[in-house]
Amino acid sequence: MQEVFVNMGEIRALARTGVLTTVGLGSCVGVALYDSVAQVGVMGHVFLPTARRRNETVDMPGKYADTAIPALIDEAVRLGAQKRRLWAKLAGGANLFPNLTTSNGNIGSQNIKAVLENLALHDIPVVGQDVSGSHGRKMRFFVEDGRVTVTAIGKEPIDI
Amino acid sequence: MERLDFLRELGNIGIGHATTALSEMLQGKLLRLVVPDARILPFEEAAAYIGGLDEIVAGIFMQISGDVTGHMAFILPIESARTLVELLTQRHGTDEEIFDELGRSALEEIGNIMITSYLNALSALTDLVMSPSIPALAIDMAGAVWESVLAGALVDEAVTIIRTDFSADGVDIGGNIVLLPDEEEFQKIEHALGLEDF
Repeated sequence: MQEVFVNMGEIRALARTGVLTTVGLGSCVGVALYDSVAQVGVMGHVFLPTARRRNETVDMPGKYADTAIPALIDEAVRLGAQKRRLWAKLAGGANLFPNLTTSNGNIGSQNIKAVLENLALHDIPVVGQDVSGSHGRKMRFFVEDGRVTVTAIGKEPIDI
Repeated sequence: MERLDFLRELGNIGIGHATTALSEMLQGKLLRLVVPDARILPFEEAAAYIGGLDEIVAGIFMQISGDVTGHMAFILPIESARTLVELLTQRHGTDEEIFDELGRSALEEIGNIMITSYLNALSALTDLVMSPSIPALAIDMAGAVWESVLAGALVDEAVTIIRTDFSADGVDIGGNIVLLPDEEEFQKIEHALGLEDF
């Protein structure tokens, strides 16, 4: 089975078969959108809530929650999905360094909030999530049936 | 002097002090081998820079404040972290036993000493104040640690990295120190050293 890796800031899509994988989600949020009728899946690996500079969004929309969600929807539609049938599953948004108080705050929770807000803006329901906490995650999204498996070190894998 | 040569040299001096401090902490057990590297990476390449994303690493992360602001991280494979903690605490056992509260604070202290001596070397060289925060430790997938470091430092465009790998003879230890200055902060360092004319 084809496995496609989704690195920081990237957006990848598959139809009918294969698995979309993000390895090592920390403060980033993995976003899976799925249309079960068309069997189309897209996955993003969101790095920050929003761009600090406006011109930055053009080259890599998947980096920021506010540009990633519309880009993920566009990509799904391009492969034959219908927007009204899409649902979302999320993983990540952890704070790996809870003891560090930095001026930049908790990026993980900011990412989760921004992803949820932008999904709501497009009326996309969130049907599963495994987010926050202080541990890293690996997320695998099976495009055949929309199943998403999340693994973490020292924990049993879970389906969301 | 090329900017990257300058950054590499900076890394070299920093790691020299850091490994000396570490050797002393471990009663001279370590010999050092220094491989400094400095790069300005496009964001797209930054993810892969750290290597095997689902391998387990220990990452010690700190914020820098003062005349120059930014972040620093000390990232090492779990086996190296284990060896260092065993050497320091004179204890042996499973990963869970080694990385208990005592083991974790030993590791934080190792990171603290490495990063602080690195910064002290830069401060002495430039006459600029650079103070580290208290260290924070994560033991997790390399990808998760690395992206949390980059996001925590708000590095979302080109990533300027000074990385220094080291290893030790006799004991198998490797790791790297990454300096992530805030935007424009390198200019302050270059200015302090009168390097703008080059």
